[in-house]
Amino acid sequence: MVSLKSHPPIDPTLPTWLADLQQSGVAALADLSMPSAKQEEWRYVDLRFDIGSFDLATSGVPSALDVPFRSARGALAITDGAMGELVSDLPNGVVFGSARNTTEPCVSGKFGSGVPADRDVFAAIHRAFAGDGAFLHISSGTAVEEPFTVEISATRSGTVSLPHLTVVVEDNVEASAIVYFASHEEVDAVVLSQLEVSIGKNSHFKLTVVQQWGDKTRAIADVFYTLDDNATGTFTEIGLGGVYSRVRFDADLIGNGSHMEIIGAYFGDRDQVLDYRYFLDHVGVGTTSNIFLKGAVEDDAESVFTGLIRIEEGAQKTNAHQTNRNLILSDGASAQSVPNLEILANDVRCGHGSTMGPLDKDQRYYLMSRGLDKAQADRLQVKGFFEEALVKVPHGNIRDELRLAVNKKFVAAQSEGRV
Amino acid sequence: MSLALSVRSLEAKIGDLLILKGVDLEVPAGEVHVLMGPNGSGKSTLCHVLTGKDDYQATGTILVDGIDISGMPVDERARAGVFQAFQYPVQIGGVLLEELLDEMAEASPDPAAFRARTTAAVESLNMEHFMNRSVNDELSGGEKKRSEMLQLAAVQPKIAVLDEIDSGLDIDAVREVAELVEELRSPDLGVLLITHYSRILRYMKPDRVHVMIDGRVVKSGGVEVAEELESSGYDALRKSLGAEPVAEEDDFLAGL
Repeated sequence: MVSLKSHPPIDPTLPTWLADLQQSGVAALADLSMPSAKQEEWRYVDLRFDIGSFDLATSGVPSALDVPFRSARGALAITDGAMGELVSDLPNGVVFGSARNTTEPCVSGKFGSGVPADRDVFAAIHRAFAGDGAFLHISSGTAVEEPFTVEISATRSGTVSLPHLTVVVEDNVEASAIVYFASHEEVDAVVLSQLEVSIGKNSHFKLTVVQQWGDKTRAIADVFYTLDDNATGTFTEIGLGGVYSRVRFDADLIGNGSHMEIIGAYFGDRDQVLDYRYFLDHVGVGTTSNIFLKGAVEDDAESVFTGLIRIEEGAQKTNAHQTNRNLILSDGASAQSVPNLEILANDVRCGHGSTMGPLDKDQRYYLMSRGLDKAQADRLQVKGFFEEALVKVPHGNIRDELRLAVNKKFVAAQSEGRV
Repeated sequence: MSLALSVRSLEAKIGDLLILKGVDLEVPAGEVHVLMGPNGSGKSTLCHVLTGKDDYQATGTILVDGIDISGMPVDERARAGVFQAFQYPVQIGGVLLEELLDEMAEASPDPAAFRARTTAAVESLNMEHFMNRSVNDELSGGEKKRSEMLQLAAVQPKIAVLDEIDSGLDIDAVREVAELVEELRSPDLGVLLITHYSRILRYMKPDRVHVMIDGRVVKSGGVEVAEELESSGYDALRKSLGAEPVAEEDDFLAGL
């Protein structure tokens, strides 16, 4: 049994559905303890912290932190334990704001539906103590070009915050959102977030996460997608910060002809651990998925990618691919890459490819023969390596910022003599 | 007359295998020289040893415009005036030719002049549409050679080493490349064009032709040297030099 060092009692003013969720979280916690690397889903990582020594973040000053890439349109801020007010007007057909206060009836069936409370101690804590979250509901037939944004930040050491985003997309919708995660360096906080997306028939929803936690912050993001007939989900994660940052991603491709597109780029430096666990469950007929992740590690950093594609018995004509390419920039850095398949149908196409290795010697030779010094040649190679993933980031206007952020990390490693 | 390139007693080995066994070669500034030789004779090795690839242990002197570059790493040699147009230029996905040229400009002694030469070369070679494509990625053989020639024009080296720049090209592309080489002629540039076919010589007028066999330059002369080779072959030349003819090509050596 694990709990937090401190938390307030259950708020009596919560709507019933949310109070019930919290009760189920408390019940689940009774049987759980900190995970260990002996458990398959936590293999390769040593968490080295005890969630029981952190206090629940109960308040916060919204937008106290100037996170990079701020957008002023359709933006919500979640800071520590506090939800901010919505910035800017919303298009017709869109509800975006506090989950706790919304009058939209579907919130009760969707909020917290993605991640089982008893999956691990972090899911249970989130369920037991999350008292609000961002709720985005997009009605049928709505097309919104500009992304909605949620800026999630942690500012207080010693706290656990539980940011939550629930997205409900009805039929025939085109829309997207960007979630920014950020904290200042030295903020020794734990952030257990949940991002849930449910996509209706013939809709396309793209969620992009830009993760720039400070170098003391630990973060676990549970992401869940469910897709109806001919729905397309896109999930992109750019992982740059955190001493430990995990993304646990689950998608249920339930609708026939549904498609899940996953793009990722991550760069671990110094003692960072970046931990990615992807689980895709193909249920409908003719469903497709594609995972494309590129990562680099340097110094003592570690990265983990595990991908499990499960194809259910009735999911004929499934087409699923996983690609994970890793650059190992220092001898002390390591990357794990474990694609897996579990196929119960007989008419499917699946493929996977994993690579890991140092910068390419022939490319370096070629670039240096053009007069570039080694540092310049290596920077260009790293740029080229990540470009394949960054060029796929759905929001074209943030790509340059992401290129710069990746370049900055590599240049810092060069100038501090780590690569 | 200054020498763009002067190579003396150059030996090079890879592991224990001696490939260059004492190469002597001079290319004066303003001239175009051709180096011919059968597969495995060490032509490509010579290119890489001049460029400074660290797979080889080399001894001997290499002077570029009078400066000894033999101890220098690859990038310093480039800045000292060596340019190699590669036989198989490596593809660099995600890096645009435009970006590469920009980095090359930054690394050059006069970035503004470099950029001006780049602009002029892009226009004269009609390569605007190449600039926002990845370096050597998804290009045809001929397009890769043109990309190499564009970089050469932008760099303005002292000695340009063109490694089998005619290989893998159809006859029109060979003529085009030959014409580009002739256009590059300038009083400050020496060109060493490496080939094992004489067909490119139909479209250009080299000042001298050298023949390399078994890691040495065994014959040098005018265009007539290439014509002789064309009619009688490398084995006849070997015999006339008292060497054993080689019965079969060694696949490993052929790549060197």
